[in-house]
Amino acid sequence: MMPDTQMLRKNVWSGLGVTLITCWLLVWLIPRYGGSGMAFGMHPQRLATLGAWVMLVCAVTLTLISFIQLRKQQTPLFASPSFAVIWHQFWPFLYVLFFIGLAIYLPLTWLAPFIVGALVMLLGERRWYVVALVAAVPTLALYLLTVHLMRIGVV
Amino acid sequence: MKKTLLSTAILSAALAVGMTTAQADDFPTKPLTLVVGFGAGGSTDIQARVLANVLEEELGQPVNVVNQPGAGGGVALTRLASNRDEGYTFAFGTSMTITYGPLATETAYQIDDFRYVAGVTLGQSAMVTGEDRPFGDTWEGLIEYARENPGTTYATQTALDRMIIEYIAQQEGLDLRIVPTSGGAGMAPLILSGDVDFAYSGGTHSGYAETGEMPVLLSLAEDRLVAFPDAPSMQEAGYDINPAEIRVVMVPKDTPDAHVERLAEALEAATQDERFIEITEERILMPVVYLSEEDVTQTLTEQTESYKALLEELGGVPGEDE
Amino acid sequence: MPELSAITSAFGDALTLHSIGIIFGGVLLGYIVGVIPGLNRSVAIAIAIPLTFYMSAFAAIAFLIGLSKGTAAGSAVSAILLNTPGEPSSAATCLDGYPMAKNGQPRKALKVGLLASVIGDLLATLLLIVVVIPFAAVALKFGPYELAAILIFALVFIAGMAGGSFLKGMAAGGMGVILGTVGLDPETGAMRFTFGYAELMEGVPILPLVIGTLALSEMFVQLDEYRRSKDGSSIRLSNNPDDNLSYREFKRTLPTIFKSTGVGAFVGALPGLGPSVGSFMAYGLAKRSAKDPDSFGKGNPNGIAAAEAADNAVIPASYIPLFGLGIPGSVSAALLVGAFMIHGIQVGPLMLRDHPQMLFTIFAGMIVASLIMLAVGWYGLRVFARVTSVPQNIVIPVVIFLCLAGIQVQGYGTFGLLTVFGFAIFGYFLKKLDYSFVTFLVAFIVTPMLEMNLRQSVILSGGELSILLQRPIALFFVVATGLMVLHLSWSSYRLYRKRRQLTSP
Repeated sequence: MMPDTQMLRKNVWSGLGVTLITCWLLVWLIPRYGGSGMAFGMHPQRLATLGAWVMLVCAVTLTLISFIQLRKQQTPLFASPSFAVIWHQFWPFLYVLFFIGLAIYLPLTWLAPFIVGALVMLLGERRWYVVALVAAVPTLALYLLTVHLMRIGVV
Repeated sequence: MKKTLLSTAILSAALAVGMTTAQADDFPTKPLTLVVGFGAGGSTDIQARVLANVLEEELGQPVNVVNQPGAGGGVALTRLASNRDEGYTFAFGTSMTITYGPLATETAYQIDDFRYVAGVTLGQSAMVTGEDRPFGDTWEGLIEYARENPGTTYATQTALDRMIIEYIAQQEGLDLRIVPTSGGAGMAPLILSGDVDFAYSGGTHSGYAETGEMPVLLSLAEDRLVAFPDAPSMQEAGYDINPAEIRVVMVPKDTPDAHVERLAEALEAATQDERFIEITEERILMPVVYLSEEDVTQTLTEQTESYKALLEELGGVPGEDE
Repeated sequence: MPELSAITSAFGDALTLHSIGIIFGGVLLGYIVGVIPGLNRSVAIAIAIPLTFYMSAFAAIAFLIGLSKGTAAGSAVSAILLNTPGEPSSAATCLDGYPMAKNGQPRKALKVGLLASVIGDLLATLLLIVVVIPFAAVALKFGPYELAAILIFALVFIAGMAGGSFLKGMAAGGMGVILGTVGLDPETGAMRFTFGYAELMEGVPILPLVIGTLALSEMFVQLDEYRRSKDGSSIRLSNNPDDNLSYREFKRTLPTIFKSTGVGAFVGALPGLGPSVGSFMAYGLAKRSAKDPDSFGKGNPNGIAAAEAADNAVIPASYIPLFGLGIPGSVSAALLVGAFMIHGIQVGPLMLRDHPQMLFTIFAGMIVASLIMLAVGWYGLRVFARVTSVPQNIVIPVVIFLCLAGIQVQGYGTFGLLTVFGFAIFGYFLKKLDYSFVTFLVAFIVTPMLEMNLRQSVILSGGELSILLQRPIALFFVVATGLMVLHLSWSSYRLYRKRRQLTSP
């Protein structure tokens, strides 16, 4: 059974990415922010460093093995996905981040109908009563939960 | 018809808003929020909820309890410090977070970022041990034993008790092995099984008062503990520190005087309330008091100063090499 | 041993209409909160605690016990149907539950989960009553050395589950270890990776991490899939004839249920390990001892049974150190301490002496709660299985919103929302690139406990390894870990040889 090409390609690139991140962790982040101090038992950075080395070894091995197999199959190393595909995977993150940004200034309960309603419409729902209902019910539920059941006020 | 109703509603709402700003002595005119820096279900939380119930009657407005756990109460205080609610949001917590917290770690708040409306309960923390230890259950016995046996073990829970034990070790010339542990649930097994010789306890020992499985060696309150009158206080044992914990109610420092006074009034009444006294003295086993803003502020400031002096004597926060 | 009449009258107390009503209320509230993605036990507790102020001691405790069981069973429902576990411990249930639901057997998956959780819960409760309270002190034999050894064993054992993509699983585990060390160093008090955020001082908050990595990221993955196959839901609740649990199929999961209950009860009886360790260990054990380990993770009912039975067995078992020694061994046990405190009862060894009636009424209440859970779950799953017939374009937005709301409701604030979002991106890559989130999550959960116990051991022993000779239980687990490593490397070597023979002509 041959591992499929697409997965191998993913392995190579993700392995490379993890390798780079781990190097950055080991060289810069852990020594700098990992904490310092005299400990009788273990240095504060010991476990984090250990974890990073495990990642590094695994990632490097993964990259090499997948790279060799990919070469054997003689397939190109790089298949660039189209811009449309990337955008389609990307916009939901922007959408959620946008509302998180708004939630800094406004209570989530006010935003709730828009978070739900707008996404339902973006996903192709056109019946107005469905959109209204789907937007209203979670909002109402959140309001009841926070104000009447948990009694912590509007969040 | 509908339109007039609506405009009346808006008008009266606007009037109400105008009135609240005009007459501050009407405080409170809307629901209040009581922030607890610990999770739901713990002793601080339970006490806070009873307190909220009592305050609700005193203030005539709902008091909602919100839990903001994290960093030993530090997360709640960090958020409170930047709160501009003029007393509608206030926190209930323990004094250690304010006095020692900013010294032990870098915090976004300092002791003078808050006003301490009142102290309502005295903490009952202690140095405890287990049954049948070679040194018995007295503080002198322990000190003697620890002098002869380097490597006597101690379980610490907070940065503050760690500093205190380092100070004691320095004073008495002890060589202790100090083990970290998390909370009373982490400490109890170590003491009960005998893996550790003695330990700090915030309040867990109260639960074993009757069985005698967790004798108290030294009181870390200002006086002796209510449930363990045999153990000496820090002063009696010859250490010049007062690490007494006070459970206090606090508001951000720019809260108007009138609001603080109104809250203090309500809190004073709450400390007389049977329900609050029952939950605190009979269940949590801590004495209820009423300490005014002046008293609390003075005590906390003095404590902070004495901790600072202690730290200098010890040469920095224990554990950090600088 | 208290006489039989006390026990029977205790059952009498627990069986009044009033108390059954209260337990039912607790189970139902817990179940509903548990079923909703993003909300979990701490929300249910926050709702319940003010209510329990006005109840009698027994009622309050019965209510909270019902609540704990309800949330555990409820969070399995959203784990199976939506791949969004409410509690970290239900993450193991997702592994086989969601694939099974996706294969068109949501009802079967839900039923296996429900039966396993009720059986695990009941057996552990019986164990609690009959055998263990007198022997609770045995838990004290498990000090820091033993717990450290067990945790290392668990870590290696579960790492072995990463299976096919072993390297990627280990890499994800390494990330979990690093994130698990965030926060104040337990010994020196040094800040590790906190960057000045007070919120990080006690570590990365687990709830935003779990909801982000598992639930929110899953919604992003499903959005992506929805775009590819625009019409219809990924789970279809058709009249699949194979979507009902036959007695024979159920019987085949029984051995797994019993074994997993044992694992769960053992883990629960030791203070400080918790249900996540229990459910993942049981899952690992079931997979390891199965004849067809490859079918795990693709919708094997035994996977659900193992995770659920152990998850639910941990809770009653964690009351063993609570009632026997006064040490709360889990979140739900700590919650009970609070409830007892409100009503003026000291939890601990004296309960058996001072309040035996109370104690046995509680035990009876626990059994009643299990049975009510069975009923609520049985009817509940018919209702909730319909979630799968709601179109995806409605489910996804609502669940995304619930994930955010759950964090906001629990007081994590903007920091919590950003954490959830960050881990959603992280989880999205884990899923898209096929890195194991199991090893990541387990490493993250185990690391802080392991670090604490390791440090305690090293300090207490003064750094001498010879202490292990005086601690036979710890020694046993150290040896077992060594054997496990040998076994793992041997079997992966054999697998490698087999693959080579297959691929090379």
